[in-house]
Amino acid sequence: MSTPRSLNNLIEALRVLPGVGPKSATRMAFHLVQRDQDGAGRLAQSLVEALGTLKHCRHCNTFTEADVCDICSDEQRNHALLCVVEMPTDLMSIEHTRSFEGLYFVLMGRLSPLDGIGPKDIALNQLLQRASDGNVEEVVLATNFTTEGEATAHYLAEMLRARGLKVSRIARGLPVGGELEHVDPGTLAQALIERRGL
Amino acid sequence: MAKGGAKDRGAKNRINDHPAFVLHQYAYRETSRLLDVFTRDYGRQTIYARGVQRPGSQVRSVLLSFQPLLLSWFGAGEVKTLHAANWQPGLPQLSGLPLLCAFYINELLQNLLIKDEPHPDLFVAYFDAIKALALCSADAREVEPILRLFEKALLLELGLGLDWQSEADGLSAINPMQRYQFVAQHGFVPSEAIDACSGHLILQFAGNDMRDEALWPWAKAWMRQSLALLLGDRVLHTRQLLLDLQRI
Repeated sequence: MSTPRSLNNLIEALRVLPGVGPKSATRMAFHLVQRDQDGAGRLAQSLVEALGTLKHCRHCNTFTEADVCDICSDEQRNHALLCVVEMPTDLMSIEHTRSFEGLYFVLMGRLSPLDGIGPKDIALNQLLQRASDGNVEEVVLATNFTTEGEATAHYLAEMLRARGLKVSRIARGLPVGGELEHVDPGTLAQALIERRGL
Repeated sequence: MAKGGAKDRGAKNRINDHPAFVLHQYAYRETSRLLDVFTRDYGRQTIYARGVQRPGSQVRSVLLSFQPLLLSWFGAGEVKTLHAANWQPGLPQLSGLPLLCAFYINELLQNLLIKDEPHPDLFVAYFDAIKALALCSADAREVEPILRLFEKALLLELGLGLDWQSEADGLSAINPMQRYQFVAQHGFVPSEAIDACSGHLILQFAGNDMRDEALWPWAKAWMRQSLALLLGDRVLHTRQLLLDLQRI
């Protein structure tokens, strides 16, 4: 028996999701059309709605439905502090801590020279414009502590410093409540190298 | 019996605690990664690291580029499977310009080393280069000699090394008072041209002595021309990134 065309299309479409191969896609497709048609309808509708309404915030580049996102339009926040992150999920993680009062900029990626991702492939020019708006005094680089995140931080630091901005990098070291005995040796070694004066 | 046989074959293809560096890694499926590693005795290998992308994975923080590791893996096919990874102390994590230079070195290896070909001497040169980069100060000029000496070791390993002490004809020794023109893959030809390099500097490079900064632009040009022969029309993204950075 050949698979109906529309079912085949659905299976193929589900394969765009990360980590979903032909088998998982087939399982998902059958689940949607056989067991949860309501859920399938909501999924289809949400996809169309998200694609139709979501755009990038004019200021911080994260996803939003308005021209400017809620965080950027919040007058209470510190407009002199700008935190640069790789992805919207990183922004959400920092927001979750409720310990940062400034604004954000989302690069939507990172420099990865070995994957051929260079400065033109992430939102560097937009960040430059954003950081030179006259209000920003300090840029906090919160890219990941992977080698690519570090390379991105270095590139951004050089670029922003050349324009007279103060640049800082989030700290790394032992986790909060971390006991030396249980922490991985690489983290501990780096914490000793990057020790701070008291 | 069959089971025992498979086990024996597995044991034969198992490598334990072997010195290696991760050159690059790619996300694979939802929770795994494919590692491109440079090992001491087995050259470049592709190793499948199952489940390292999971939140609680202990191995993920160990699988860092530019950190000496001891890797254990098994498998007979082209892609091996990671069994264990242990971080080795000694090198601070790279940052800043030395980090970008280390990416450049990795990109060279990814482009020029064939998988499964052992290069133990080059592994030592790689280790030395990464160590020197990790110990660099903020002075951008410190990276130059490190990169040139690694490129020289790489060319030697790939069969494009030159006898830096003799002229291209192989008969006469480089004369420190004479000037020479460089011809990639061939060597140094005596030249009266005003822009030719003095034999004195060539002999310094022959002895891996990079103290004289007058040598640096020459060595860079020689290495660039020689590597271009190996790279063909392949573009080095890290080289472009370093150029972009200079223009800032």
